Amino acid sequence: MNGNDHLARTDPGALYRELSRSNLPATKRWFLGVGLLAIATLWGIGCFIYQMKTGMGVTGLNRPVMWGSFITSFVFWIGLSHSGTLISAILRLTNATWRAPILRGAEALTAFTLMVGGLFPLIHIGRNWRFYYMIPYPNARGLWPNLRSPLMWDAVAINTYLLGSLTFLYFGMIPDLAIARDHATGWRKKFYNALALGFRGTHNEWRRYHIASTIFAILIIPVAVSVHSIVGWDFAMAKVPGWHSTIFAPYFVTGAIFSGIAAVVIVMATLRKVFHLERVLTVVQFENLGKLLCTMSLLWGYFYFSDFLTVWYNRNPEEWEVFRSYAGVFLPLFLVMIGCNFVVSFPLLCMRRVRRSIPALTVVSILVVIGMYAERFLIVVPSLARRNDPFIWHNYFPSWVEFSIMAGALSMFLLLYTIFTKLFPIMAVSDIQEHLFHTTDRKIGEATVESIAMPHDTGKGGHG
Amino acid sequence: MSGIVIVGLFDAIDPAAAAARALRALPLPEGDVTTLSPMPLPDGAICRDPRGIGFPKFTLVGWFVGALAGLGLALATYLLYPLFTGGKEIISVPPTMIITYEVAMLGALAGTVIAGFREMGLCRFRTRLIHDPRIQEGKILLCARVSGDEQAKRAMDAMKTAGGTDVRPEEGEL
Repeated sequence: MNGNDHLARTDPGALYRELSRSNLPATKRWFLGVGLLAIATLWGIGCFIYQMKTGMGVTGLNRPVMWGSFITSFVFWIGLSHSGTLISAILRLTNATWRAPILRGAEALTAFTLMVGGLFPLIHIGRNWRFYYMIPYPNARGLWPNLRSPLMWDAVAINTYLLGSLTFLYFGMIPDLAIARDHATGWRKKFYNALALGFRGTHNEWRRYHIASTIFAILIIPVAVSVHSIVGWDFAMAKVPGWHSTIFAPYFVTGAIFSGIAAVVIVMATLRKVFHLERVLTVVQFENLGKLLCTMSLLWGYFYFSDFLTVWYNRNPEEWEVFRSYAGVFLPLFLVMIGCNFVVSFPLLCMRRVRRSIPALTVVSILVVIGMYAERFLIVVPSLARRNDPFIWHNYFPSWVEFSIMAGALSMFLLLYTIFTKLFPIMAVSDIQEHLFHTTDRKIGEATVESIAMPHDTGKGGHG
Repeated sequence: MSGIVIVGLFDAIDPAAAAARALRALPLPEGDVTTLSPMPLPDGAICRDPRGIGFPKFTLVGWFVGALAGLGLALATYLLYPLFTGGKEIISVPPTMIITYEVAMLGALAGTVIAGFREMGLCRFRTRLIHDPRIQEGKILLCARVSGDEQAKRAMDAMKTAGGTDVRPEEGEL
């Protein structure tokens, strides 16, 4: 294209090669990494089978703490899933110009965290082979799921979000699959050809693709919010001290977005390092994600304090015992949570130097993820461990089987993500090309600034 | 919409726009002139899309179908599997709203995908479609559907005059 646009500065072929480094043929190191992850995943699966055959007694769960690490992990992973699709949708709708390089990686993060998170209730149910009892279908046993149960709302909401997120991920990838098809040879060409569904980049296709993407973004935001609200209601609907709170739904959504943004930072920093994407994933993306993380840290602190304040002032004995346990047996976890989520991370995130330093921001994000796991644990366990009757108080610690299954789940997520980056375009090539196409340098006085063209397209066809 | 299509490759937007203008002056209807490009171009930059975009209404249709399905599922549950509590069946409104909402959103997403794919003309695996992978090198493929040899010749001349390369007739659908 001519010199009036930025594609002249960035040869599209070279740009594609740079953005698709992850799709290069697998090396020995890649196979070694995937092999190790597969072994760790298989170990987790093996431990799950052992638990299934032996019974739930191999876990640390015992009355009254019948929800432990599995439910904590479920809430944690579903929370992480809020990163990708939700952020991607919000950035698309607001036309945030820095969004293009983080879209795909974040959307893939959502899909795989949801897949992993969705497994935990199934692992937790004990008689795992009867999971299909949750599916409504006429049967001779006269069984039917109880739709009044928040756990059924969860099943419906998570499946909707998973299907929506997978569709959002796939739909956004279609133009990039078409680009990959045109560059690929051999089996990859056939693979991308089938997945691109015949997308060629005609004017009509592009216009409809853009409108459909916008509609998807509009639809997926309320679905994402509803999913974690419902996860919050799983707890809030129960008359258990510490859970029965009206603030839980927005508090859960805030925490989910908080941990999700931290996960996006970690994933983006890893992709940048591993695939040498320094020119695409710049400090701008990380600084903006750092600002969002800072805002969410503040919001999380606000919600946590609001929840605490009413209990502290009320001094309802049952609820107050739960909070008192934070200063006892759960003190280390409480300090980890408060420190990682607010006391340490918030002041650090306020510093521009930290937000603009990718290693520093990654470290803060890792702290946030650890802090959010501790927070999920402190929501689930102490409320059960300090239930109304002191006679049944009992402390809980996960067993080696639970640790193994949790480690296996993490490995499974990493394995799925690694395979995805090898097979699919991990960067939104067409979005990046479009951004470059609309960007030009403009002189204002003595300064040269980046100027971005915003086309007006009403989507009505004709002379819109 | 099959027939003869004249295609030409352009290195830049301006000559492609000039060629498209000349094609429309032949005259060719706006709907018969289109581009293949590696990224979306603003409507009117080279060609215009005269067709209205109708699939958003299928989002709404999908939403209503989903809402009815969700509502039906919840109501059927209360009717077929009544849960007696305190001697009375409970028909709970808030859970009904939640199930209806989730299934409605699923329906809206499904409606958007199905109608979007259809209107974009995807999944036509058995149809010969006009395509040139060289657009991934940053070029623009201008395409014009013509009828008759005389119109084909004039279209090819218009593209060549504007600076098009590899101008040729192709058989296939746009």
